[in-house]
Amino acid sequence: MSIRFAAAFSATLLAAVVLAGPAHAHGGHDHGAPPTPVSNSIAPRGEALSDAFELTAVPRDGKLTFYLDRFRTNEPVRGAAIEVETPEGPRTATETADAAYMLPAPWVAKPGNHDLLVTVTAGDVTDVLTVSLNVPDARAAAPGAAMAQPSPTQDALTAASTIVGGLKDRLVAKDPVLVATAAAAFLLGMLVVVVARGRRGVPAVALIAIAITLTLGTAAFAHGDEDHGKPAPAMPPVQGAALIAPSEATTDLAQRLPDGSIFVPKPTQRLLVLRTTMTEAGTFRRTVELPGRVIPDPNASGVVQSSVGGRVSPPPSGVFPRLGTKVRKGDVLAYVTQPVQAVDVSDMRQRQGELDQQIGIVERRVERFKKLSVTGAVAQTQLDDAQSELTGLRDRRAALDRVRLEPETLIAPVDGIVAQAAAVSGQMATPGAMVFQIIDPARLWVEALSFDALTAAQDATARLADGRSLTLAYQGSGFADRNQAIPVQFAVKGDTSGLRVGQFVTVLAGTDAEQNGLALPRSSVVRSGNGQDIVYEHTTAERFEARPVRVVPLDGTRVLVAEGVGPGKRIVTLGAELLDQVR
Amino acid sequence: MTMLAPWALTLAAGLAIAVPVHAHEVVGTGPNGGRVTDAGKYHVELVAKDATVDVYLTDVDTKPVPAAGFKGTAILVVDGKPARVALTPADGSRLSGKADVPLKPNPKGAVQLTAPDGTSASGKFN
Repeated sequence: MSIRFAAAFSATLLAAVVLAGPAHAHGGHDHGAPPTPVSNSIAPRGEALSDAFELTAVPRDGKLTFYLDRFRTNEPVRGAAIEVETPEGPRTATETADAAYMLPAPWVAKPGNHDLLVTVTAGDVTDVLTVSLNVPDARAAAPGAAMAQPSPTQDALTAASTIVGGLKDRLVAKDPVLVATAAAAFLLGMLVVVVARGRRGVPAVALIAIAITLTLGTAAFAHGDEDHGKPAPAMPPVQGAALIAPSEATTDLAQRLPDGSIFVPKPTQRLLVLRTTMTEAGTFRRTVELPGRVIPDPNASGVVQSSVGGRVSPPPSGVFPRLGTKVRKGDVLAYVTQPVQAVDVSDMRQRQGELDQQIGIVERRVERFKKLSVTGAVAQTQLDDAQSELTGLRDRRAALDRVRLEPETLIAPVDGIVAQAAAVSGQMATPGAMVFQIIDPARLWVEALSFDALTAAQDATARLADGRSLTLAYQGSGFADRNQAIPVQFAVKGDTSGLRVGQFVTVLAGTDAEQNGLALPRSSVVRSGNGQDIVYEHTTAERFEARPVRVVPLDGTRVLVAEGVGPGKRIVTLGAELLDQVR
Repeated sequence: MTMLAPWALTLAAGLAIAVPVHAHEVVGTGPNGGRVTDAGKYHVELVAKDATVDVYLTDVDTKPVPAAGFKGTAILVVDGKPARVALTPADGSRLSGKADVPLKPNPKGAVQLTAPDGTSASGKFN
């Protein structure tokens, strides 16, 4: 029994070595055409890729339509020049309204393989692409369809026979050596089993086996070359597609193919606005969302208050600055005139009278002294004293007048615009009341309440209700609790237009926790029927394949793909849920 | 089971081997110092020097294929602009053409060939 198994194993091994020989020795590559997919209801098409573009060519009714998209984003390219090397010479395709490029091509109706050379120039990028179009023979396709409508078992048998047929094809077409090798190995296996059953001459058999293996194996290795230009094996017939008579005009409809991938023709992709992104692995900080509010920058805003109670009057221009008026630091915005109480008025009148009286007396004394000092009857010092006294009295009198006339000026403390104005002519202002608020609209801050301690100097973004986002620079955070949270302040960087003070924003700030993975927009992950999270990978120009993924939340707009797809894949970011609806 | 197992094993091994090798891009250097790529059932080697474009044609076994009867076009990108070069058979397996502008040593582009039987093939050089 054990010997029988040993024999079987050795035969297997032998066959494996001998048959596998050519496969390993095959130093090159297959020259097969790209898999011509899909179902009979889809028109033949060709596609080509470069690192910048994705080109799809669809022949129909003697015309060739090219769809040109960006490779990474799947965005249609408009305004490109497409030049095609046709059998009739170089031709230029004309752009149509729906961002496709049309080329009249009567030669494309001829069945067979058309190899096109397409030069694409879009902006400053030039690319040469090779497109292979395989136009099937309508007559040849007919008999295949005649035996249509196979049962599931037939289907399976057909699939199996296709695989075997492929092997046979490969073997027959390849070269006799390979066939002979296979046959010899098989016979050898039989021989080994037969001999082993007799349990005789095992060493002899082993010797023979080694000898034959070496001989045949060397022969196989000697064929050090590759498989060329074999037509790709036909796809196993598709049951659904087989029901469609091939004579019917092929309509390109988005459909789920039997292998689970989704075929979406380019025009439909544009209708659905499918966009992709290239996945890149990276390290991301987990972010938290905080409620925030726009506040003015404390160093670029100010309030204008009256220090005394009084009557508000307009500045020299005659009008109060309105809301939104631009003011500069030092501009006079208003006056506040102190009212004078009745008792003060009588007091001042009294003082005024006294001073006027004294001034009169001193003036006369100065006159008299001036005359007498010339004769020497009065000393010069006496005249000087009298003159100083007069000056002093006049100053006091003038100051008394000024106190009654001069109001307090309210001036702008900073450059900015008037954000609040409470000035009305004739109004009585109370001391400390705010008359104006001045804010520099280009310098705004955001104050958020954080429940976590944020990393210092950690930049953040703020999202507005309309979807816009602002870049924020960390300024500082408080140490005292407010509503069981810590106030954190950020300065808004860049454009602040459209913001107003007090506006609510959502602040997205990073935390210390770092995660590795691929960041994708939240919209690219959809939930499949069985509840699994999936993303759609853009595998070829018009094919999308669902990939189950494990995602972890990253921030408000993105998720992190921890497992399921690798870097360098094109993943649908826009329109994934529409793609998921394709049946 | 006793009789079946060995044969089943043999058969399984045979099937396992039948899985074909996967297709892949070819890039290499040819005997004439140019880059080699696939073009349908041929291999083409592109040698660009100054304004001259030479394309050497080989087959499955890297044996030269007589170029007589072939037609070809090469489109090569020079300084971001495509240069179209018509190729005509020269001696042996060589097709040759002249570009309007001098070429860089390894230009990006593609070569299209039309065989005497009317079939076309193209190869891309990145």
